[in-house]
Amino acid sequence: MTAYLLNLATLSAIFGILAVSLNMLVGYAGIFSMAHAVFFGLGAYAGAQIALQVIPDVLLAAIVAALFAAACSLCLALPALRVRGEYFVAASLGLQMLASTAFSQAQALTGGIGGLVGIPPPMLLGLDVSSAPAFLVVCLAFLALCLIGIRLLMRGSFGRSLMALRDSESAARAFGKDVAQLKTQAVAVGCAMAGLAGALFAFQEAFVNVESFTLEQSILVLAMVIIGGVGTLAGPLIGAVLLLLLPAGLSFLPFIPPTDIGSVQQLIYGLAMTLLMIFRPAGLAGRSVGQR
Amino acid sequence: MTALLTLNGLSKRFGGLTAVQGLDMELHEGVITALVGPNGAGKTTLFNLVTGNLTPDAGEVTLAGRTITGMAPHRVARLGIARSFQDLRLFTHMSVRDNVLASIERRAWLWQARGGSARRDATEAALERTGLLSLGRARAVDLSYAEAKFLSLARIMATGARIWLLDEPASGLDPASRRRFTALLRAAVAKGVTICLIEHNLDIVTEIADRIAFLDQGRKLAEGDPASIMRNPELRAIYFGERRE
Repeated sequence: MTAYLLNLATLSAIFGILAVSLNMLVGYAGIFSMAHAVFFGLGAYAGAQIALQVIPDVLLAAIVAALFAAACSLCLALPALRVRGEYFVAASLGLQMLASTAFSQAQALTGGIGGLVGIPPPMLLGLDVSSAPAFLVVCLAFLALCLIGIRLLMRGSFGRSLMALRDSESAARAFGKDVAQLKTQAVAVGCAMAGLAGALFAFQEAFVNVESFTLEQSILVLAMVIIGGVGTLAGPLIGAVLLLLLPAGLSFLPFIPPTDIGSVQQLIYGLAMTLLMIFRPAGLAGRSVGQR
Repeated sequence: MTALLTLNGLSKRFGGLTAVQGLDMELHEGVITALVGPNGAGKTTLFNLVTGNLTPDAGEVTLAGRTITGMAPHRVARLGIARSFQDLRLFTHMSVRDNVLASIERRAWLWQARGGSARRDATEAALERTGLLSLGRARAVDLSYAEAKFLSLARIMATGARIWLLDEPASGLDPASRRRFTALLRAAVAKGVTICLIEHNLDIVTEIADRIAFLDQGRKLAEGDPASIMRNPELRAIYFGERRE
């Protein structure tokens, strides 16, 4: 039971990083990406390869994964610079589908459908952090770093500029903002954090394959952001914990047969999203219009 | 008098529609020029051409002798041309204070740009002058119409821009707010700011403008002091929809 809870807490921290990083794009920069799982995946594969080929150091793997995902984020930044709104959603969907196929086909780099197996237990600067509590602490430390980083960025001129172009791109331009530069930076930072989360995920699971980086995963992370509260610091974290605890909680309810948990979960997601959008459109941690 | 901004033979077509046609105009330092004309005269298109939101098909825009034709909007803004929008385009989910601050933080990298305290001072000064200081923490989306109008002006004031292009800045304001608004524009002009505004309310135009440029169907039909333009029966007929063939 303890191992189960520790696993759940570690996954919550990892998905917390993923959700806060997507929130930076969706909530602060207004870049409605449906391809966040791609960068989670790129980070996971990069982190796994570092662990398998070089050294299973979680810090090195996280840095390489973040840099790799940030470098690849130009694939997302380019359409974001050209199109907005629903057109960008469609473009990011295309990117997600393209990447899912690439992940399953690039046998040499990703292990194909079978994925990369046997990822060695994590170390941190020579210390063994492979035990569940130790790795949870590592993940929580990374989550804290990401939250502090986002808070600092969003309270400064960079954050204000992102929010300005989210609210009115034309007005932001009229006040001297270089929209292309801002969007590129936002996408790079958001995707770098997603890559970092991916590296942690690879160590946590000791195995990665394309199943974890599909469109469903992108939608799940987006749901975490929306349910928690778009454009808030705590919201995505609340969303991540809730959506990870939900299936776990359901599995403890004796009157739901294990085979039906998936369907019940989908029903609850759907109902929760609908009710939330009606009664609390700004999300659980969000502030509604007129609420000062 | 020195021309700060010069438009030379500016033209813009949208498919079969000529929005602006061979337009020449000058904006002089410390002068309020009003663009007047019926809907579709090309007034907002002219603003878009000057600020780089649209690229002219022909003609040239020069700022203090430097060509800025077709320059990207953010570069034009950094040269000291600020504009407002008819629909305000406030940063709605940001606070009033952040709206102003964000408007003067032009180069925002991941790290903080230098001059933060000067920008904060400029923000507070603009909020104070526009009477929005007590609403600094309120979100723009929660402001009343008049407050939103003043915020739109505060953003421009704080930039320290030399040229203000204002699209219907005082429309819909009650008389008292309008007087305050006019006084703010006059105070800015006294400090050397050049203003060009689009306005439909002729009372406001007469009250504020030093010069009027009358536009119709993309062409400038007349330019001069408000009294002479207002007295012109031909222009009045066009403006009030009694077009004579």
